[in-house]
Order: sequence, then structure tokens, then C-alpha cells
Amino acid sequence: MSGTDLLLWFFAAAALGGGVLMLVARHPMRVALALISSMISLAGIYAVLGVHVIAVFQVLIYVGAVMVFMVYVIMLLDVRDPSFLERYGRVVVPAVALAAVLAAALAVAAGSGRIMTAEELALFHDAPVATSFGVQPFSAEFLDQYWLHFELTSVLLLAAVVAAIAVIRTGRRRDG
Amino acid sequence: MDRTQLLLWLSFALFSLGFVGVMIRRNALVMLMCMELMLNGVILSLVTFAERSAMLSGAVLVFLVFVVAAAEIAIAIPIVLLLARRRRTLDVGAWSELRG
Amino acid sequence: MNLLTLIVVLPLTGFLLNGLLGPRLGKSFVTVVGCGLPVLAFLATIRAFGQLDGAAGLALVESAYTWAVVGDFSFDIAFYFDRLSALMTLIVTGVGSLIHIYSTGYMKDDPSYARYFAYLNLFLFFMLLLVLGRSLLVCFVGWEGVGLASYLLIGFWFEDPAKAAAGKKAFITNRVGDAGFLLGMFLIYYALGTLDFDAVNAAFQGPVPPAVSASLVGVLLFIGATGKSAQIPLHVWLPDAMAGPTPVSALIHAATMVTAGVYLVARLNGLYLVAPEASQLIAGIGVATAFFAATIAVVQTDIKKVLAYSTISQLGFMFLALGVGAYGVAVFHVYTHAFFKACLFLGAGSVIHALGGEQDIRKMGGLARRIPVTFVTFAVATAAIAGLPPLAGFFSKDEILWYAFASERGGSPLLWAVASVTALLTAFYMFRLLILTFLTPSRMDHETEHHVHESPWSMTSVLVVLAVLSAIGGFFHVYLFLEPVMPLPETAHALEHLEWPLIILAVVIGLAGLAAAVYVYRGGLDRAERLERRFPGLHRLLSGKYYIDELYEAVLGRPLHWISERVFLGLGDRRLIDGSLHGLASLAQRAAGRLSSVETGQLQQYLWLALMGIVALLAWMWRHG
Repeated sequence: MSGTDLLLWFFAAAALGGGVLMLVARHPMRVALALISSMISLAGIYAVLGVHVIAVFQVLIYVGAVMVFMVYVIMLLDVRDPSFLERYGRVVVPAVALAAVLAAALAVAAGSGRIMTAEELALFHDAPVATSFGVQPFSAEFLDQYWLHFELTSVLLLAAVVAAIAVIRTGRRRDG
Repeated sequence: MDRTQLLLWLSFALFSLGFVGVMIRRNALVMLMCMELMLNGVILSLVTFAERSAMLSGAVLVFLVFVVAAAEIAIAIPIVLLLARRRRTLDVGAWSELRG
Repeated sequence: MNLLTLIVVLPLTGFLLNGLLGPRLGKSFVTVVGCGLPVLAFLATIRAFGQLDGAAGLALVESAYTWAVVGDFSFDIAFYFDRLSALMTLIVTGVGSLIHIYSTGYMKDDPSYARYFAYLNLFLFFMLLLVLGRSLLVCFVGWEGVGLASYLLIGFWFEDPAKAAAGKKAFITNRVGDAGFLLGMFLIYYALGTLDFDAVNAAFQGPVPPAVSASLVGVLLFIGATGKSAQIPLHVWLPDAMAGPTPVSALIHAATMVTAGVYLVARLNGLYLVAPEASQLIAGIGVATAFFAATIAVVQTDIKKVLAYSTISQLGFMFLALGVGAYGVAVFHVYTHAFFKACLFLGAGSVIHALGGEQDIRKMGGLARRIPVTFVTFAVATAAIAGLPPLAGFFSKDEILWYAFASERGGSPLLWAVASVTALLTAFYMFRLLILTFLTPSRMDHETEHHVHESPWSMTSVLVVLAVLSAIGGFFHVYLFLEPVMPLPETAHALEHLEWPLIILAVVIGLAGLAAAVYVYRGGLDRAERLERRFPGLHRLLSGKYYIDELYEAVLGRPLHWISERVFLGLGDRRLIDGSLHGLASLAQRAAGRLSSVETGQLQQYLWLALMGIVALLAWMWRHG
């Protein structure tokens, strides 16, 4: 196994571990940290794959904006309420059981070739890394061919900001 | 198992972990975070296929998904805040208006 | 020219005009339409009668409308005019028109004047359908229709619940008989494939007897006739039917509707000639009814009830004649009975009108001088019904007695004897009625006595016409006129020498009845009351009408009511039907309650359900490739 593969496996394990930790940790802050580590592992995976642009975006946007916001809110609220004492809801046992069933079904299906036959699987070879996923080539082409989508995202973000303000304001008005 | 298979399995695993997490955790914020985990799993599979196809549109799509995720969290958290303020708890079990 | 259809349609038009426009257009319109159209129908009948004689004895047939075509059989509305129908139609339209004219005076002050004439015209229409119909089907439509009209007219003053109940009783009793009629009709159609009278008669008289028992059919049709013509056991409605206006009693329950049963049997004489068992039954029931009704009439105190039982009794005579095969003679009696019974009923109406509503003969008397026209006409009609020569009743009743004695088709001395005793009773109670109403010293209330007045000429003129007809009508020997259609039975040769003695005996009987009535009732009710005290049980039995109504109520009415109430309403309707519906509803409700426990309002549980769906979907997809 080559070094990249080893890295890949490492990051995959880390992402998975973070995910499992999320389910188990009691304090929401710990959950957030587990998620952050999971996301950073994913960014690592993207980097190993060669899509540096996306790796950067993952860290910048996801970890840097979304998770920071989440951590901020966690710190803002009193988290020592009933959901702190009792981590799991009422459906914990059925849910885990169902997940196990799903996993088993998936294993059986994958093993017996129902998801993909061996021939189809063989089509999934490693492909050469494209160079256009570097930051420089990416942004040039992005703003050249997909500038409309770019503008639309800014509209979307504006809408999100307005909505957030509206929600808070209405909430405040109603609560006096 | 080669790279693509690994990544796809990982993607599915993250997605289902997130789904199970949404189902079983009581805290509303933790539920949101598990939803983010789900989304990350999906983005991973998207990236895997985009990288294999070597098309730019794949990367652009991933970028747009990031933007959407950000916008989504920008709204979801205030909503959760309001709900929590109304019931004075973050426990999702407190909300059962749709009973019966 | 569609003469027969015209005859039938004229009264129908009167019904529609009077019924729809009458209340708005006022009394004179109703009178002109209501009386004018039946008179026109009468004139049309005379015209058709003229055409009949010219047609060398063949019947006139007119087909008006094809009602339905089923397979290769078509049900037509067709009219058939031979000597029998001619006679019946003349009676119906003639006496009918007279009674319509009488009603203009009698019902003058009634608020529902238009409705009355509408119903009366409706009755005329249905009766004409009955007697002119070519097939049993059209006849049956008319049969039912006159029952309907009778119900409407008996219960004319329906605000009084007793009168409405009388109407219902008439209709329901008729319907019981109609079941027999229908069964007979079905059998005939099944065996012969046709319902036309002429075809049916020909089939039964023909060389090959049809594949159905003539007696069975005869008995079934006769059951219908007992309902319509008030014979035992379905006679109970006729006395109650006196609740209707008196002209209605005269028209429907004396002259025309009740003779429908007689007409039916006479019309189907081809069938009854080959049904000796049925004929015997008819004769037996006829004479029994005649006797039985006469005994009840002797103790009745309501003027109309006496006449009602008298009608039942006279109808019994007609059926006796039919039963011994003398069909033409029975129709002769229908004809004479129409005249004198209508005269009697209308005369009673005149008396009731004069006394301002009093109907109890114990409170009458001494009216002969005060309402002379009514008295004279009533007396003539009474003498006619008692069988005194040379009035009409003598001829017809005498022929009946003779054939009852001597007919080769079932006559016997027993029948003759019972009939003669009945004739004696008839004379007795009719003269009793006459004496108590008109001739004894007055027993009226002073108020009533003060207001006694003769009826208007619209009523008295009709009485005079009918009295004259009762007097001279017997000279037209209907049974000879009808011989080509209904041959008279052979009489036993050995007995023929007794014909004249029997006639004289009949006259003697009539006079004996008159004498007995004079003896008992001269001077009022005293002698009668002494007789009543000497035979209290008999008197109670007779005035209770042999308790037949009570018997029916106990044996039929109460059990049926109990079954309806307990079984059908309680069990069937409430428990079964309502219960099952309620059960279904509560089942749905309980199921909904159980099922709605799935919705807990918990978000995470809904997510679990969604995941469950996904897992199931994937499993299914992977299983089935």
C-alpha cells in the first residue's frame, strides 16, 4: 500500500471515529469538537485526493464559519437541561437495531453483487488527478464560466441573512 | 478495497451515523450537528465522483453545496434558539404538538 | 273515430282541469267542467251504442296506445265495446252524470268543492278504463285506480282521523283482494300468453283446455272480486266507507265500483263456465253474504249504514246469480240496483241535508209531509228493492231466485231458500227504514225540526229521474239483450212448472216483509225496543256486526302490529341495521384511536419511521433485482 493510501485510511478512520464520538459524547461542546475533527479529517481526505480547492473550502467555510457559529451558540446557551442528563431519546434502541439491520442488509447486498457487479466495480479505477482543481485554475474558470451561479449564491446568502434577522426579530417581538 | 470503494463506504457510514445521531440524541444542537455530519458524508461522495470525472462542474457543485450548508445553518440555529427559548429547554422531547 | 278513447279521456280531462285550475277559477268553472264532461261522455257512449247495433253484433275494438313490448308480447291499452261493456258504460256515465249533478247541490257549501269534483272525475276515468278495457291489464289499472279514488273520496274530510282511517281501511282491504287478482292474472298469462278478455274466453271455451286449472284461476280472480265488491270475508270496509260524502256512497259504493267484481266474473264467463268448483264457491259465498248482511241491516240505526249493508246483501245476490251460471241475470241486477240504490242513497243524502247533518234514524220521523219529493222517491226505490212488481227490482231479483232454484249449472233448493229468506229480510229492513225515517211521529230535536226543508232542485230532480228509472227500468230485459254474449243456463226440465208459483211466492215474501215492518214499527220504536229486550244476545251479536272487525283485529291486526313493532322495528331495524351501522362507526372510531397512537408528535420517532421505509425499500429493491 502506498503512502497516499495509508494517509487515506488514516483520515478515513479519523472521520469515522469523530462521527462515533459525536453520538456518544454527553456535552454538546465535545460533540462539536468531535465534528470539527471529523471535518478536518475530511479536508485531509480531499487534500490527499488532490482537490485542494475543496479542502480549503471545507476548512474555511465549514469549520471556520459553520462550526464556529455552532460553538458560539453552544457557549451561549445553558446546556445543563434534561437533554444533558439524559443523552438519548425514546427511540434509541429501535434506531440502533434498525441501523444494524441496514448495515447487515448492505453487507449482504454488497457481498452478493447486488449493488454493483464485479464488472461494474472494475470500472472504478483510480483516475489521474486533474490539474484544474488547483486554486488558481479553479477560480479563473469558475468566475469565467459559472459567474451566474456565483452571483446567485450571493443572493442566497443575502436571503439567509434577511431570514435570520426576520426570525430573530419576530421572535423578539412576540416574546415582548 | 481500492480508494473509491473506501471513500464511498466511508460516505455511507458517515451518513448513517449522522442519521442515527439525529434519531437518538436529545439535544437540539447536537441534532443539528449530526445533520451536518450527514451532509458531510454526502459531500464526500460528491467529491469522490467529481474527482474521478475530472470535470470542473463537479467542484463548482461542491462549492455551491458548501454555500447552501452555510446558509442553512444560518437559519437553523436561530430557529432552534427561538424554540429553545419558548420551551426553556433544548430537549426535543418537549415538543409534541403533533400528537394524535 | 276514436269514440271509446274519447269516452275514457273526457273524465280524465275533467280531473286535470278541476284539480289543477279548479281552486283558482271558482265554483262555476268547476261545476261546468265537472258535470259537463261526464255528460259528454254519456252522449258519446250513446253514440257508440248506436254504432254497436249497426255493426251486426260485433264488438268495437280500439287500440289507444302500446304500453310496453316485452319479447314478442306487446301490452296494449285497448278498448273493447260489446253489449256487456256498452251496458256497463251506460250505467257508469249515465248514473255517474246524475250523481255529479246532484253533488253540485249537496257539496255547494264545502270549501274543497274543486277537489271533490276532481276526484269524482278521476273515479269516472278509472271506472271507464275498467269496463272498457280489452285486457285484464287495463282492467286492473282501472281496478286499482277506482280503489285509489275510493280512498281519496272516503277520506275526503281527512281532518277527521276516523274518516281518514275509514279510507285507509277500504284501500287496504281492497289490496288484499288484489293479490288474488294478480295471481289469477299471472296464471292466465303464463298459460295463455295473452291477457285480452276475448282471447281468454275463447281459449277456455275452445276444444283444447289451457294448461291451467280454470277453477284455480276462477277462485283467485274471485278473491279480487270479494275485495272490490265487499263479499265475505273482505266486506268489512264498506260500512266504514259511509264516512265519505253521500253522493260518493251512492256512486262508488252502490252503483258502480262495487259492481266491478260482478263485471269481472261476468266478463270472464267463458272461464267460469268450465270452472264448476269456482262457480259453486261464488254462489255459496254470494248467498251467505246476502243473508249475513241482511241480518245486520235489521238492527242498524244509521241511515247510511242500513243502505251499506243492503248493498252488500244485494251484491251477494248478484254473485249468487253468477255462481249458478246466470251471468246476464246478474248484470241485469247490477243495472236495476244502480237505479234504486243510487236513488236510496241520494234520498238519504237529501234527508241528511234537510236535517242539517243528522243520520240516526232513531232521531227522525214524520218527514213525509215536510220533504215530500224525497219521501216519494225514497218510497218508490224502497218498493223496488223489496221486489214489489212492477218495479225494476221485482224483475231482476225474481230472475235470480228462479235461476238459483233451477239452473243446470249449480242451482239448488237450498240456495233458493236462503236467498228467499234474505229477500224477506230485505223487504223488512227497507220498509223499517222508510217508516222510521218518514212515517212515524217525529222524534227529532226541536232545533233540527225547525230547520227541515226540501233540498234544492239540483238534488231533487236527480231523485225523480232515478225513481222513474227504478220504476220502469225493469221492463228492459237486460239478460235477454246480453244473450249473444252470455248465454243463459239451461233450467231443469222437471222444475219448470214451478216457475210461476215461485214468482208469486216472491211477491208474497215482499209483501210479508212490508207487513212485518209496519206491524213492528208503526207508531215508533216501542215495539222494537220490547223485542230487543226479549232477545238481548241476538241483538248484541247483530249490532256488533258478528264481531268480525274485532276478530280481524285480534287475529290479524294485533299479531301483525306486534311483529312489526317487536321483530321488524326492534330487532331488524334497531338492532340489526342501526346496530350494524353504529357498530361500523364505533369500529372505525376505535380503530382510529388505536392507530393514532402512532402519532406521538415526537420528531425522532417520525425519523425512525422514515428510515424504516428506506430500509424496506432498499431490501425490496435488492431482493427483486
